[in-house]
Amino acid sequence: MEIEADKKTVVPGRLAVDICGLVLKNPVMTASGTFGYGEEYAPFCDLNRLGAIVVKGLSLEPRQGNPPPRIMETCCGMLNAVGLQNVGVRAFIAEKLPFLRQFNVKVIANIFGETIDEYRRVTEILTRAAGVHAIEVNISCPNVKKGGVAFGAYPDAAAAVTEMVRGETDLPVIVKLTPNVTDITEIARAVESAGADAVSLINTLTGMSVDIERRRPHLANVTGGLSGPAVKPVALRMVWQVVRSVKIPVIGIGGIMTADDALEFLITGASAVQIGTANFIHPAATMEIIDGIEDYMIRHRIGCMKDLIGSLQTDGC
Amino acid sequence: MAEKPSVAIGQVMENRSVAPGHFLLTIQLPLSFATPIPGQFVMIRDPERGEPLLPRPISVYDFQREEGHAILNLLCRVVGRGTSLFSRLNRGSTLTVLGPLGRGFTIDPDVRQVLLVAGGVGAAPLAFLLQEGSLLKPDSGKRKVTAYLGAGTSELLTGLDRFQGFCDLRAATDDGSCGYCGPVTELLAIDLGGYDAKSTLILACGPAAMIRSLDLLLRDTRIRCQVSLEERMACGVGACQGCVVAIKEGEGRIGYRMVCKDGPVFDIGEILWNPSVDG
Repeated sequence: MEIEADKKTVVPGRLAVDICGLVLKNPVMTASGTFGYGEEYAPFCDLNRLGAIVVKGLSLEPRQGNPPPRIMETCCGMLNAVGLQNVGVRAFIAEKLPFLRQFNVKVIANIFGETIDEYRRVTEILTRAAGVHAIEVNISCPNVKKGGVAFGAYPDAAAAVTEMVRGETDLPVIVKLTPNVTDITEIARAVESAGADAVSLINTLTGMSVDIERRRPHLANVTGGLSGPAVKPVALRMVWQVVRSVKIPVIGIGGIMTADDALEFLITGASAVQIGTANFIHPAATMEIIDGIEDYMIRHRIGCMKDLIGSLQTDGC
Repeated sequence: MAEKPSVAIGQVMENRSVAPGHFLLTIQLPLSFATPIPGQFVMIRDPERGEPLLPRPISVYDFQREEGHAILNLLCRVVGRGTSLFSRLNRGSTLTVLGPLGRGFTIDPDVRQVLLVAGGVGAAPLAFLLQEGSLLKPDSGKRKVTAYLGAGTSELLTGLDRFQGFCDLRAATDDGSCGYCGPVTELLAIDLGGYDAKSTLILACGPAAMIRSLDLLLRDTRIRCQVSLEERMACGVGACQGCVVAIKEGEGRIGYRMVCKDGPVFDIGEILWNPSVDG
């Protein structure tokens, strides 16, 4: 009852966040590769309510992805080796973007290239398209032979891709980082210096699973990326490290299933969060997470996201 | 036209063992749940459990609307941890049901003879097709339906009662305990010459080995054939792209289609079998 009474005094835009000039109505986005191009989840979610939709990774040409089997459930998580199957940037603009433009939601295009020049060309094409509000640069896919993590694991290569994309667009540039490195803060600092407006982390952790009856890997790609609740503590630790190492906003990703999980990331210092595997389990997960964050804000009498983000107390730790 | 899918909270009305390792789940759903098309599936999950994490895709075996609610029946085989837990659900348990999902069977008006070919629990979507009525609706003319049901033993011919008396029935068991002794595709091979290739349509669902034998059997005929495939899935709605099957795209090129969204029903001729992957 108290919450109901309090809700009437909610300041409009209480959940709003500003990430490098990109104003989101709330800090909840969908993670790339887990929400298709938005359309897939429109029957279950009000897309207008989302902070942003990060679409499936786009490459210059369509990609057919890896052979099956591509996924395997593991303890409290799943492995995937999809290999960035996508329609290509041109088909995205022609066939998928018009659908997304009907909604009052920020669209973030996740991009991928095998070469630095491919990242540049995809950025160039997307920057001219109406209805793309930011670019998320994927330098962290563990499931492709060329590109992907080959750029994300090395500070110089990560900086070079970032600089190329930065120079090609006036849209906010978010760089998505891999956890499969010795020191993620080193990569974060490198892309910050190269002009990234924000970083998002983590992408999946490389993992493996074996069918003991057939003595074969469960995935045709042998290894895959681990996601889901199993990775959340690792993701949170890396967000904690990165928020203390860079000045740009950090977007937290990794095993967020509930509003409580999202709040852990926000309190730790993430300016926004992305919801991934949870969409597969509960198609309306994002809606419940948004509601849960709002209820928490009311319950704790927090007026705006700025007062929540990074409010972690560590004195005496 | 398929109706819009939704997520519903279902209540287990009955959970009955029908054969060793096979069970029939009867779930009560709100009336708002869309009517499935035969061949479509649902993703079910126990909301009380955090693990297993992912919902499991199960073909619709029967769907009825009653006063105030709908009743969904799922015929399942225990294959892993998820289905094993479902097999032990008690009456009154809740399940989240996402669906109906995927592309079902399509029957062209010129089809005069339908052959339903099932292996084991693969009988489920075909039984729904037969019971749902559109196969034999009045404007379908003099359409004949013959079911070829195969299983390891007579006991494992699950769903038999849904075919008996509703169509011509041919059974095959590996141990000869019912009908022909051997694979159901062998039995079909014996009869196949007796069907008119132009007006016959085969609809099949069963283990990968059965579908592959069927593919080989039909390769030199012009009989149309749609098969319902199964694959591990995460989302069921075309987002994760985890459940793909390799498809011939012409000029020797391979493409991948999602079993959840582009299927689970495919034309058998489209499918590319990859021995190194399928084992």
